[in-house]
Amino acid sequence: MSASRGSRAEVVRVEGLVKDFRVGLGVRRKRVLDGISFTVREGEIFGFVGPNGAGKTTTLKILMGLIFATEGRAAIVGHDVRETEFREHVGFLPENPYFYDYLTGREILRFYARLSGVSRGLIGKRVDTLLEWVGLVHAADSRLRTYSKGMLQRIGIAQALVHDPQVVFLDEPMSGLDPIGRKEIRDLILRLREEGKTVFMNTHILTDVEMLCDRVAIIVKGKIRYEGITQQFLGAGRRETDILFVNLPAELAGRFEERGALLRGVGDRLEVRVAEKEASGVLREALDAGAEVVTVTPHRASLETIFLSAVGLPQAAEDAR
Amino acid sequence: MRSLVRIATLAANTVREAVRNRVLYTLVFFAVLLIGTGVLLSTLSYVEQERILQDVGLAAIRIFGAAIAIFVGIGLIHNEVDRRTIYTILSKPLSRTEFLLGKYFGLLATLLLQLTIMGAAFATCSLLMGAPLTVAHGAALVLAAMEIALLVALATLFSVFTTPTLASLFTVGLYLIGHLTRNLRDLGQHSQVAAIRAITALLHRVLPDLESFNLSIQAVHSLPVAASDVWLPLVYGTGYVVLVLYAASLIFERRDFR
Repeated sequence: MSASRGSRAEVVRVEGLVKDFRVGLGVRRKRVLDGISFTVREGEIFGFVGPNGAGKTTTLKILMGLIFATEGRAAIVGHDVRETEFREHVGFLPENPYFYDYLTGREILRFYARLSGVSRGLIGKRVDTLLEWVGLVHAADSRLRTYSKGMLQRIGIAQALVHDPQVVFLDEPMSGLDPIGRKEIRDLILRLREEGKTVFMNTHILTDVEMLCDRVAIIVKGKIRYEGITQQFLGAGRRETDILFVNLPAELAGRFEERGALLRGVGDRLEVRVAEKEASGVLREALDAGAEVVTVTPHRASLETIFLSAVGLPQAAEDAR
Repeated sequence: MRSLVRIATLAANTVREAVRNRVLYTLVFFAVLLIGTGVLLSTLSYVEQERILQDVGLAAIRIFGAAIAIFVGIGLIHNEVDRRTIYTILSKPLSRTEFLLGKYFGLLATLLLQLTIMGAAFATCSLLMGAPLTVAHGAALVLAAMEIALLVALATLFSVFTTPTLASLFTVGLYLIGHLTRNLRDLGQHSQVAAIRAITALLHRVLPDLESFNLSIQAVHSLPVAASDVWLPLVYGTGYVVLVLYAASLIFERRDFR
């Protein structure tokens, strides 16, 4: 899978992007993006992942031409992002999108279709197809001010697709949705991939990353900390084993701790968390020393732990356990 | 051509927004004012009833037009950025200048529609009261439209880079000064100090001379109107609008939408 994706054409290329924002009215500037680079390949769902304030939305706004980079270059389907005409190939759903709420679902899609250059004769059919695709035929002639958040998100996806773009950019598409809404959007994103679209998705929800994204880039404090295949990223997370002992000698427990084990007292018992490969040795030593084993539980580190470890926040990773 | 379609699409939507947000309801106030004046005058035996009616009518048309131009215009761009509706629109293949022009012409079209309705009501009331209607009345309305076009452009310019509160202060300020620059220049010419004469003359040249769009007196008193009284202000106004929109576009093209 990685080889085939590796050979696919680059759809998005970001090179050394820097963005400084002016602070207040003075000359002081704050660096929000610090020389980030990454690429997105044709047909993949690319997750741009990071905590709040990491620079995800700033990057996306630069790609959409809403703000301008201080340094560096970004191109989509071979065109510099400061051009406008190439946006015929690009669809965009902002975070918590707001649309003209005095328009109906059908009217807003017709409006965006005209702006996108869809020919007059094709607009009606295209809008009907999209309304059906996102499941909003029943609400097509209701004004958007009567739509729920999930419906707005779906009309948002429809407007992003109204001109049948090659690449779709989604900023936190699951934000603020209930579980049903999240599933609906997830299904729509997977259908986009089936239809051959490239999807670029900003998110901080790691389960969505695991379920949807082929590749990820992790951004923290304006710097890319990782770029690669999602499963490799998740697989890099430690596998661990929790062993619950009774009568574990304190001296031996101390030695385990010195070797990196985590200890937690549970009543008269002691739970020792060790890396999976060290579990057999720990068990042997403990049994030799007269300890009794109550339970042995192997598990993979949580997504949060993997993420926090990857972004260089080991203490926070421990806290997340 | 595609650019024109995009501008027209945005303009049509801006008109629809104004209609659905009931901006045209302000016409009711105009109608009440005009009819009220007519009814009041009919109860008085006053020799110049028609002139007073037309004076009030034309003043109301210009003030209503200006008020809506300013108070809708100041939020024209700012609200789009503030509500983030601009994000999805600018992600489509259109330039920021096209967006700006679409919004400008949309609001202008709304105001011209409103001006036409007010003009028709004014003409009807004048006919009912037996007041004369001349070419000068038509010319006064055309120049009122030009003044509105200039005010919308100024409001749009301020809306591009500042908040509605500040934009309204700037635009209302320019509206008031714009009606006084001639007086200011004339006063300045009487000064003994050369610098004051120069400054007041410069202000008159640089700031919009909105009194040049006022033909109300000629219309109400049936005074003759030369062709140059109309086309010169139209050329002046159009040139001013183009410059103001160009400045707005320069700022807007470089702005970060954070």
